[in-house]
Amino acid sequence: MADLKWHLSLYARLLGAQIRSQGAHRTSFLLDALGSLLITAAEFAALALVLPRFGGLGGWSFAEICLLYGLAELAFVLMDILFGGFDAPNLSAHVRSGSFSTFLLRPAPLTLQVFASDFALRRLPRVLLAAAIVGYGLMHAPLAASPETAALLLASVLGMICFFGGLFVIGGTLTFWTVDSVEAMNVLTYGGRTLISYPMDIYGAWLRRIFTYLIPAAFLSYLPALHLLGRPLPDGLPEGAALLGPLAGPLVLAGAFAFWRVGVRHYQGTGT
Amino acid sequence: MTTMPAPPMGGCLSRLSRLALPWAVARLGFRRQFAYPQAALWGLITNAFFGLLRVAVLLALFGTRPQVAGYTPQDAITYTGLTQAFIMAFSLFGWFDFMRAVHRGEVTSDLLRPASLLGFWAAQDAGRALGQLVLRGLPMLLIFQVIWGLNWPPGPLAWAQVILSVLLAWALGFLFRFLVNCAAFWSPDAVGFGRFAWALLGLGCGFLMPLAFFPEGFRAALAWTPFPGMLNTTLELWVGVTTGGAAWAALGAQLGWTLALLLTCQFTLRAGLRRLEVAGG
Repeated sequence: MADLKWHLSLYARLLGAQIRSQGAHRTSFLLDALGSLLITAAEFAALALVLPRFGGLGGWSFAEICLLYGLAELAFVLMDILFGGFDAPNLSAHVRSGSFSTFLLRPAPLTLQVFASDFALRRLPRVLLAAAIVGYGLMHAPLAASPETAALLLASVLGMICFFGGLFVIGGTLTFWTVDSVEAMNVLTYGGRTLISYPMDIYGAWLRRIFTYLIPAAFLSYLPALHLLGRPLPDGLPEGAALLGPLAGPLVLAGAFAFWRVGVRHYQGTGT
Repeated sequence: MTTMPAPPMGGCLSRLSRLALPWAVARLGFRRQFAYPQAALWGLITNAFFGLLRVAVLLALFGTRPQVAGYTPQDAITYTGLTQAFIMAFSLFGWFDFMRAVHRGEVTSDLLRPASLLGFWAAQDAGRALGQLVLRGLPMLLIFQVIWGLNWPPGPLAWAQVILSVLLAWALGFLFRFLVNCAAFWSPDAVGFGRFAWALLGLGCGFLMPLAFFPEGFRAALAWTPFPGMLNTTLELWVGVTTGGAAWAALGAQLGWTLALLLTCQFTLRAGLRRLEVAGG
């Protein structure tokens, strides 16, 4: 317990240093935050502006799409803020420059240092935008306001944070072996995020099945959303499957950290 | 800083040798793209996967409608294939190379060359763009052709207009990217400015959705910006949404914006170089 408290205070101090350094160039930081916000805003606007012309997307209304899109974006941005240090481009830069070796020398837990090594404050406005999109969806989509709904939505977001965080950890660990081909992980991370931003029945059955049974992305928010909106689950899955999402994420994260430990043991540095 | 060194031979450079430097620079820019084939392959796979998702979203939007805003579902697939093919060639996700050269002071060695700074970077980017088009663009079109089938320009005139439009879209896009990178002369950390600009570019050039699908007012506002000329004009010429007189007018708009941005770039670059102070060391 005392250990956890010490770790948390250490994490807070590392983050404090990051936040102060990011405030050094204020104008640039503001533009960076605005640019980061604008990327999401532009992508969402592109969808929101064309939807009226088409009426809906695969039988889903604008509000229902907002719910799916917003949940995925909210979880992904929160995950990006928390797990940014594990993202392959960041970690591989540390590995190549040799600064990862200095992490190992410091009297602080390695994983904690990586967690605190890239805390991008500029993503905070995106969190607000994503929350607003979810809020709009919640207000206008036909779902019951109940403690069960709230619990399932919260669990879904936490599950997604764990799931994508796990993918970031796996991608980061791979950079111990290879600096190339980390872009392959982008298919799963950024691709996975985009994939679950839309109702998954718009994809071919094989693609949806891969991302349901092989990579359990459908359990994260799509099945819970179907359940809350009173829509039937695909493939005749029992209703209970909609509640499994919160389990899929932590399982992926636990597996990812097991892989991380193997990677750290294997780590040899690059000789720089 | 503003005086150019004398040409190496002391005399007037012939027209041929004046073109020799940009040609060599462009060739090197082209060849450099092939240095990491594995990374390019993974990039292609990632882009193809995103293409797959985008096609699914567009087809779901169409539903059973045979045509929306001049686009058939097959046109929409072609549009997606083209946008995915041009991402790297047109650097639609951003480009910070010149910014980096200014921040690191490397721009001074560019200034020592017997060529214009803008011309030198344009030649380099032309080579880079062509390399990316060969390495990632053409394979992407092939993937789309095999999986879904593409619509191709209907005849020699349409092909000529498309090729002209691709060249202008590259030139216009390059000048816009270069102009944004010039912010480095005024700010020590202009990356944020760049990210802001690339987000505008993604929406405005029709990369995220065909501009024809947007509401009238939004499109009218965009028509006053150079963004549609950086991608959307080319796509509409290719799929045949823009034809006849409108096609020539669209090409004219691209050319006009290219000239306007060229002047703006030269003006900004001159002002920026006057401000330039490079740290010694």
